[in-house]
Parts: sequence; structure tokens; C-alpha cells
Amino acid sequence: MNSFVTVMLAALLALSACAPQRPYRAPVPSIRSSPAPARIPPPPQAPLPPPEAVIKPLPPDPKIREQDLKSKAPSPPAKETAQQPTSDEVREAPEAGAALAPPLADDSSLLAKITPGVTPQRAASLRLTDEGSRLLDAGEAAKAVTRLERTIVIDATNPYGYFYLAKAQYRLGHYQESLNFLGVAESRLSGEPFWLSEVHALRGENYRAQGQLQRAEASYTEALRLNTGNRTAADGLTRLQLETPSANR
Amino acid sequence: MKKSNLRVFSIALVTLLVVTSSGLVFGAWYLKRLEDTVTEKFEKPFSSFPSKIYSDSYLLYVGINLRLDELAEKLRRLGYFEVQATPKRKGEYRVVRQGVMEIYLHDFDFPTEKRPGVPIRISQRGSMVGRIENLATGKDMFDLELEPELVTGLYERIWQERKLVKLADVPPLLVKAILAVEDERFYSHSGVDPIGVLRAMWVNIRRMSFQQGGSTLTQQLMKNFFLTDERTLSRKVPEAIMALIAERKYSKETILENYLNEIYLGQRGSQGIFGVSQAVQFYFAKPLSDLTLGESALIAGLIRAPNRLSPYRSTEAATKRRNVVLTKLLEDHIITQRQYETAMREKLPDRPLVKVSNDAPFYVDYLRRELDENYSNAVLTKEGLRIFSSLDLQLQRKAERALVEGLKKLEASHPALRRKGNDSLEGAIIVMRPQTGEIKAMVGGRNYPKSQFNRVFQAKRQPGSIFKPFVYLAALMYGGQSGVKYTPDTVINDSQFTWNYDGKEWHPNNYHNEYFGAVTFRRALEGSLNSATGRVAQDVGIRRVRDVAQRLGIQSPLPAVPSLALGSAEVTPLEVAVAFSTIANGGVRTRPLAVKLVMDQNGQPLEKRDVRVEQVINPQLAYMMNNLLKGVVDRGTATAARRMGFTRPAAGKTGTTNDYKDAWFVGYTPDLLAVVWVGFDGPSKLNLSGSEAALPIWTEFMKSATADMPVTNFVEPDPPPESAEGVTSNCSPTNNEGELSQACPPPATPAPPVRDAL
Repeated sequence: MNSFVTVMLAALLALSACAPQRPYRAPVPSIRSSPAPARIPPPPQAPLPPPEAVIKPLPPDPKIREQDLKSKAPSPPAKETAQQPTSDEVREAPEAGAALAPPLADDSSLLAKITPGVTPQRAASLRLTDEGSRLLDAGEAAKAVTRLERTIVIDATNPYGYFYLAKAQYRLGHYQESLNFLGVAESRLSGEPFWLSEVHALRGENYRAQGQLQRAEASYTEALRLNTGNRTAADGLTRLQLETPSANR
Repeated sequence: MKKSNLRVFSIALVTLLVVTSSGLVFGAWYLKRLEDTVTEKFEKPFSSFPSKIYSDSYLLYVGINLRLDELAEKLRRLGYFEVQATPKRKGEYRVVRQGVMEIYLHDFDFPTEKRPGVPIRISQRGSMVGRIENLATGKDMFDLELEPELVTGLYERIWQERKLVKLADVPPLLVKAILAVEDERFYSHSGVDPIGVLRAMWVNIRRMSFQQGGSTLTQQLMKNFFLTDERTLSRKVPEAIMALIAERKYSKETILENYLNEIYLGQRGSQGIFGVSQAVQFYFAKPLSDLTLGESALIAGLIRAPNRLSPYRSTEAATKRRNVVLTKLLEDHIITQRQYETAMREKLPDRPLVKVSNDAPFYVDYLRRELDENYSNAVLTKEGLRIFSSLDLQLQRKAERALVEGLKKLEASHPALRRKGNDSLEGAIIVMRPQTGEIKAMVGGRNYPKSQFNRVFQAKRQPGSIFKPFVYLAALMYGGQSGVKYTPDTVINDSQFTWNYDGKEWHPNNYHNEYFGAVTFRRALEGSLNSATGRVAQDVGIRRVRDVAQRLGIQSPLPAVPSLALGSAEVTPLEVAVAFSTIANGGVRTRPLAVKLVMDQNGQPLEKRDVRVEQVINPQLAYMMNNLLKGVVDRGTATAARRMGFTRPAAGKTGTTNDYKDAWFVGYTPDLLAVVWVGFDGPSKLNLSGSEAALPIWTEFMKSATADMPVTNFVEPDPPPESAEGVTSNCSPTNNEGELSQACPPPATPAPPVRDAL
């Protein structure tokens, strides 16, 4: 059984390695309805902040100039940090059992979530989120931010609004802000493995852009555990392997 | 010639030479000065453009609660006109029937995109927007963003509104009409027109009244450069000289273009309307290109006396003047008989000028303080920046009204609060949206002209009991140093005790020195019991209480002393708003956001401030706190809000300082938070509690502010808090939390009566 798992894992990684490198791909919203997401064990409770933690004020507002308002390609990973995962850690990343699970059904359609029982606020918020996601796909990150901020004004419980705000901030190169939005998105997602997987994958992308490779790897791995079909996470893991020293290969 | 005569002659000659040469030098200097003035005005014709501050835009969507009368009021403030027939022009709207409104939207350049004006129809379903249709395409729209309102201009001296246009962009008929009535020999004279002057004199003498002026268009332009309407010889002479200089230096087209952009054409409150483009927008709410012949004639006719002939003042006078201009155009063969007749039939709509009072001076001061960090005063007053803010003018007005009327009521019911002179009763309100940190309204005092001191962010005051939730949150978060894991049902001893620290003693006393023995954690917070709170703080550790307050957003120095638990450290209402927004927002802290975007004159963004979030408290703890603070409103010291008719799910906390100088209330629904402070700037005592002085103001404001908002409740996170039962019930039948946790207070111990005091 173990050898079978190893073979499958190797195949997955090989497939990932063949995939062209590209920046983060968010789920492309589709208008077809999607089946209800599979239930998974509830995500771990958000950890309590460490006692006596030193709280830093919010970072000063980076002055955004015109060029910043255009979508930025994610920056290449920063120089290798001291916390370099070992090759074993990288190989062990996805849990064997999770890797074997079939990919989750695509739950990316926000418009499909507008069902008769949805409140008008949630419906409006989802529509705006959908518009925001399309603006992001069109490379209009700054415009998308304005639109997406509306989504949380209308319905602060809409996790997808936070997710796409995180994506927009990632595109603008504001990785810490993106991570902050992802934290909120995660806390507002309940039992949606597809979207939780997306959250972890985007978190991985942010960590990778910040040069925090070990954290990036852990995030990608968690994304793949939740959804083996998460290409962003798979690509991210592959890139991490390619970018780390040859000892890891 | 005698020698003496020669001497006199010589002296006279020298004097004459000196005088003449001095006169020539002075004249040359004077001419040079005038020339420099003309050059400066022409080369940098409009060097002073005030920056403009805009409110937040207004988003309508299918499903939002909406009152059409409030929408109509908003449209009028935005410069829309009500019409009786189907709106055909941008800037018109009509109420088709009850619950249905049609609007022809203005074009508007939003910060990140341009919105072309299209006709739309809004239909209500019940109290909500049921449908939004784009009448141009026939397609349904799901949301619609109305343009932001202009709040004010940051001007240097006088508020001038002007939008520059090129000569080629001005409809030729408008130009011809202006020339026909103001200076028909414009292309023939050299700046001053003696023939024109003589003819004007002749006409005036013949008709025995002032009918015509002799000033050329160039002279009028020179006059406008001085920004005064003085008609003295000492002003007329330099005007004429400057006109001659201008004609010598610049082409007729340049002069005409300057004139069209510079001419004064009306007044809207304190705002002067300059230039034809701005005038067309002001009088007809449309772009220049859409101008009809009748409207062109009206604009041309207004130049002589913009306010007396204004259609806002009298449609009759305006129509009469327009017809004079049309007749002149016909006589000069500029228009045909048919054009003339069509234009004469154009009916001027009788539109009252909407009195715009978009003043939000305290908010604008706060914005300026933020802007001052990056932009000098010269830039703000001269470079025509467009500053988009989070301000909601409707909420702002409601907040102003609630504060001013609330303070008046307090003075009426408590005559001792009336003061003469500068030490009058004061108050402040700040309104925030917890999800985004947007500051929606800010009132820093009751009378801005009298005192510009903004108590929202400039006044540091003791918060009193509104600090207590930080103690309870710290207890839920960290537990006690004794090992107790606090839950809402944990029993606390509310009795006198002494806290020894650093060789000192601290004795927290309850209100009226009443103590209630064993009380639950929840009851202690709802009843704002000082002694019980002191015990919790002692068990948790005051440093942890301080850490929680800082984590939530308090930035003022907080000394780690026991009295901190009862709010002895001074903070601003703004900080209080940020901290409680974090709790309201499920533990997500946002940064306060007033300036959202700054754009330069060309529409290029200079600075954009996005919403910033950070999960600083876990959502389960935030939910527990929201639930506990709902108890304060439902059963605790803030039940007066319920008695006053505020029925929505809401949480909050009253605050009164030990010396009765400050009364606070911070309260919120999931979507809107407001902090109210009441007190004196000086050392006077208020002698009223938060629930007596601040809560009524908050309640009146929130009742009005949330009237059209959907009712929302605080959403339980997934997974729910560990001690969900303790959170959701007032007194849980079972509880398996820490050692001191008990199901309910012992039956022998009565629950403390809640006083509407603290």
C-alpha cells in the first residue's frame, strides 16, 4: 500500500513539474451550478494569539503611485531564508491519504451560490465579488479593490469578498495585506474545502513571494490536502522544489 | 537775459526734466507691472484651483431598503432636477408613480472608472429595491453607484468653481451670442473700443437709463482678473491699459478662450460659478456640448447681471433676457427665423436652487490633518486635487442633529449644565463601519464656528467603564493567573477588596457603594460592577488587559496600574471606536479610513488608501464579547436604548468616570458603530452617567441612521465558541468550564439590579 502511495505521489509531483510556471491562478468563476461541497472535518480553530504578544500597529500606508495601481506580477521569491525546508520535508508534504482523494468539484462559481434562500445582501455582495474577480482576471487590480471593498460593506460575512480582496492585494504586491485578508476569509468560511484550499494556496503564494519558503510549502501542502485538484498549490510546490538548492532534488 | 532769469529758467528746466523723466520712469515701471500682471494671468491663467473633497459614493442594489423620498433628496443635492415627463436629459429624474422612479444619470468620472450617464428605472418591491433597469439597453442592473457629493473646496480666499474648456469645445452659437451682446466689435478693436463707448453713451442718454456698457470683452476679462466689481476711474484706467497690452501680446482666440473660462456667471451659496462650462452645469446640469440655442442665449444674457437674471431667481426675468439675446441674434443674421422661433418656444423649467449645505467641518478638518502629512497647503488650495472620502453626508447630518438636539435636551432637563461663556456643555460623535474602518461621520463639538476643537481625535478623556470590556475579553482570552478559565457563567465575587501593587493600595468601589456578592461574569459586565471587574483584572493581570486594549486598537499610553481596569487612562473617542469596531467585526481590526483616494487635476491617482484588516482576536472570542455586550443593551446599564425604541440587535457599553466629568456610550449593530462622548472641556463636572447623558444621543442617532438598513445579527463563527451555551444563554443550565464556573449564581444570591447609571 505504501509503495502505491509513493508512486501516486511521485506521479502527482511529476505532473506538477511538467506544468508551466505561472503566477497564482484563482478559480475562474463559472456560471454553471456546482454540487454542494463535500463536508470535511471543520478546520482547526483559529489559534489564540500568543499571550503577551507584542502587537504592532498596522503598518503605515504605502503610498501607492500610479504605477502601483496597475496589476503587479508577483515578485520573484526573496532570497532564501534561513529556515530552509529539507528535501524530506518537501517530499513528505502532501499527506498520502489526501493525495489519493479525487479532486473536489469546482465550487468557484459565485453566481451559482445565489439561490432563492440567499439574502439580498449576500446576493448583491456575491455579484459584486464576481465582478471584482473578473476585473482581477482582466488585470485591473486597483479597480477590483474598489469593487471588492463594497462586497464586505454589503455583507461582511461573505468570505469570497475577503478572498478576492486578498488576491487583489497579492496582485498589487501587498503580501502582508493579502495574508491578513486571507485570515479573515478563512475565519468566515465554514466547511468549504474547495475554498479553504484556495485560501491556503494563495497564502502559499504570498509566503513564497515573501521568501518564507517553509511556510509557503506548508500552505501549499494544506491546500493539496483539502483539494488534490488545486493546481495553484501543486504548481507552487513544484516551483518551490525547483527554486530550492539542488540538494532538495 | 538777466542772470537771475537764466538761473530760474535753468532750475525750471531741470525740474521739468526731473519730473518728466521721473514720470517716464514711473510710467514705464507701471506699464511693466501691468504687463507682468497680464502675462501672469494669461500664461498661468488659473493658477489657483481649490482641491475638492467628495463624500463616499452611494451604492444601490437589488434588495437594499430604500425610501424614494430620501433618494430624491439625495439626487437634488447631486444637482439632479425633477421633471414631470420622461427624463430626456442627463441630470433629470421623475417619480413615475409610487415606488417607481426614472433617473437620467450624470456622466461621472469615478476614481477608477468613468460612468457614462444613462437613463435608468428603479422599481421598489415593498420597502426594498426590486429592480433596476437600464432603459438605454433594456437590461437589468443589479447595482448602481450614485456619484459622490461634493462636500467642500479647500480654497485659499474665495470658493470658485471652474472647469476649463478649449475654445473649440464651446458651441459656436454660444460664442456668437456672447459676442453679439457683450462686444460685437470684438474682432475689430484693439482692446478698447471708443466707438463702442460712444455708442453705449448715446443709447444710454437716449433711453435715459443704463442700457449698455462700453467695456470690451477684453476689458471685462481684465476686470475679472482683479476679482472685484469696483467701478472707479482708478480701476477703469488700468483695466483699459491692460486690455491694450493683452491685445498687443495675445491673439483674439486666446483672449476669447480666457474670457469663456473666466467670466463670472452666478453664485451657489458661498461658491462662485465661473466660466461657461461650470455655468452650463450649474443652470442646466448638462455638458456644454448638449446646449440648445435657447440655453446658449440665456447664458450669454446672464453675463450682464448673473444673479438678478438667474433662472433660479426668476424664470420670467431670465426668459425675457434670453429673448432679447435671441432677437439680437436674429437681427444680426446669426440665426434663422426658424431657429429663432424654435428657441423662443423653449420653456425654462421653474427650478428652485437646492440649498446645498454639505458642510461637515469637523470631518473636513480631520481630513485636512491626514492630508497635511503629504500635501502642503499650497498644493491643497491651488492644484485642484480631487479627494474622495468615506464620509456619508446623510449620516453626518443625522449625527450632527442627534448631538446638538441631545445636548439641548440635557441642558433643558438639567439646568445646572447650562453655562455661559466658553465652558458650555460639549459632546462628540464618531460613526464607523466596523467591517472596513471607514469613518462615516464625525462631529467634534456642538458648534463649529464657536469652537473648532475636534473632540473626536484631539480630546483625550478618561473612558471610565467603557474600558471594562477589555478586562473581560482579556479574561476570556488568557484566563486567570489563578488557573480559572473564565466563561460568561463564571462566578465572581463582587465585594470590597484591596489590590496591593508596588507598595500601594487600590480600592475599587461600586456605584452607590452597593455590592452583590457572587455574580456571574456576564452579570458583572452587564451591571458594570467595579469591584467584580477589579477582581477579574487582578486575576488576569493588568498587563494582559493593557495588551488586549492595544491589540484592539488603543494607541494612547496605558499605564499598567490597577485603575486602568476601570478606565483611568485617557483615550480619544476615535481610539474607542477603532477598538470596539474590532470586537464588532469578529476580531478583525481595521484601520480608520477617512481619505480613500487622492487624484490630481488630470484624474491620475496620487494616493489610494485601501481597507486594511488584521485578525487580532479570534472570532469565537469576539463573538462571545459581542454577545456579552448585547446583554448590556438588553438587560444591563443600556436598557434605556430599548425603552427609547431601538430594537435592533445591538451591543454596547456605557461609561462614566469616577469624577463624573465624562459620560460615554459606545454601541453598535453588526454594520454600524457610534461612540458618543458628553462632558465639559474645562474642569466642570457633568454629574451624569453615560446612560443618562450619552446613551440617549446614541440611541436617537442609531434609530435614525439604521432606519433603512436591513436588520442583521452577529453571526456565530464556525466552529462556535467553546462555551457556546454560556454565550447564548443568560444563565446556562449546565456548564463544564473551569473550577469556579457554576451553572447559575447560587439561588440565595439575587442577581444585581441593573442600574441605568454606569
